[in-house]
Amino acid sequence: MSLHTTLRRTAASTTTKTPTTFICSQCRHATLLRRPKRPYTFTQLITLSDGSTFTHRTTSPLPIYRSTRDTRNSLMWNPSSNKLLNIEEDEAGRLAAFRARFGRSWDANTPVEAAPGADKDAEAQAKEAEEEEDNLLDLISSFGQEEVGQPKKK
Amino acid sequence: MAANEPSRYLARSLPRAIAPSTRAQGPGCRRYASDQASTKASVLSDLELDGSLKATVTPVDAAKSFDPIAKARSRRAQLPRSRYQFRSPKYDRGPLHPHRPPPPSDPSSRLFVPGPFSLPRVGQTYESTVASDILTLCYVHNPPGFQPPPKAPRLRSWDDSSPYHKNRPLRGPRGGDVLRLLRKPITFNNIPKLDRITIHSYVKGAADNSSWLHVAGMAIQAISNVRVQTYKAKTSVPAWGISPGRDTVAVKAELRGEDMEHFFGKLVDVLMPRLKDWPGVKGTSGDSSGNITFGLGPEQVALFPEIEVNYDMYPPKMIPGCHITVHTTATTDKDARLLLSAMGIPFYGKIVD
Repeated sequence: MSLHTTLRRTAASTTTKTPTTFICSQCRHATLLRRPKRPYTFTQLITLSDGSTFTHRTTSPLPIYRSTRDTRNSLMWNPSSNKLLNIEEDEAGRLAAFRARFGRSWDANTPVEAAPGADKDAEAQAKEAEEEEDNLLDLISSFGQEEVGQPKKK
Repeated sequence: MAANEPSRYLARSLPRAIAPSTRAQGPGCRRYASDQASTKASVLSDLELDGSLKATVTPVDAAKSFDPIAKARSRRAQLPRSRYQFRSPKYDRGPLHPHRPPPPSDPSSRLFVPGPFSLPRVGQTYESTVASDILTLCYVHNPPGFQPPPKAPRLRSWDDSSPYHKNRPLRGPRGGDVLRLLRKPITFNNIPKLDRITIHSYVKGAADNSSWLHVAGMAIQAISNVRVQTYKAKTSVPAWGISPGRDTVAVKAELRGEDMEHFFGKLVDVLMPRLKDWPGVKGTSGDSSGNITFGLGPEQVALFPEIEVNYDMYPPKMIPGCHITVHTTATTDKDARLLLSAMGIPFYGKIVD
């Protein structure tokens, strides 16, 4: 055995030496336990458009985030809200008059209903507010004289 | 010469008394290969006849002198701080290694992730309102004594029209080989809830320039609070010069627990209302086992408050789009959609359940 090895060695030294490539992949049957990487997070206060707030953890360093458009004021999340519906303002009723004259039935009906209604609402609200004040004064001054107070109301 | 060398195995097989020590080797006790035949019988003598229990007799002196408390008291100065702490080993060397790392739930483990630190709003909303709503909506009243009609087995058996049907595995369901998940009736203990959210972004420009991937990773990390993982391409896309196994083209963040709920709340309350001309999530999305996916384009991802707050950090062209998969514990898309619409995600179009 040793004879063979010596022979081979001499043969190798005499002939050309082949470049040996070492396999460098390490194998020690150990897995590195990597510490989990977590980005730094801040606590942020989110203020929704209706004033409600909540906190959340975020990577953004801003302490307070005020949103202008969120679920509280977008139509998709509030489908029944009249305020968010895109109703054209038609206080003088000119658009409605135009539609009544030249519009088709499908576009003549709906806005006419909505636009004067809105006008009436605004006026009625103002009147009601005044009347309420009157009513309160009436209540104080004329308690028990309801027959007198009622015709005054309307 | 090889023949002269004493065999290593021979030395091991001999009993200790007889075995020649390899160091002090006189010329007289040389052994030859022909002699090994006689020693083969003594192989069995290598076995210890006494069990290991008998050998381990604790010396009494050592036991008496072992008094760690007294030793610690007699110490004048404290040991360095690290000596009082347990440090997990850096490597896991397998279950047979004497030095095992602690489980990841142990705070001294290297894999330990502390938390949760907050009670997110989404989770509170779910607990207080959504869960009971879903339970009510999914209630099916069965009068007492009601027996559900027997269902056909999910895997059909073969009709024995052919002798070759013998011992065949059962037939798959009709109309395709996909065996859908079973939907159990929803009761108080299996109300569908959010399981995890996966944000995935395939960046086609990453094949030739890795900066696309870096920007995508940072953007996804910013919006999700989670370090992303990168993935290599599985399929070849010749038009973009992407070849499988070579190009790293995708980043993915997987959110669970607290992170998931914060992200979901941010997505629904802040981001979705800000999207321009966004009709909602398509009603046909879903993998029919309770996971709903939708996509956001680059200009929509840029509307996240985390990206908006330092928008200049990202090259505007390189902000990625992403696919967001919401995994729920529901087993059908119908239940998952019910859950998500209760949590605030709008759906549009034809709803396919």
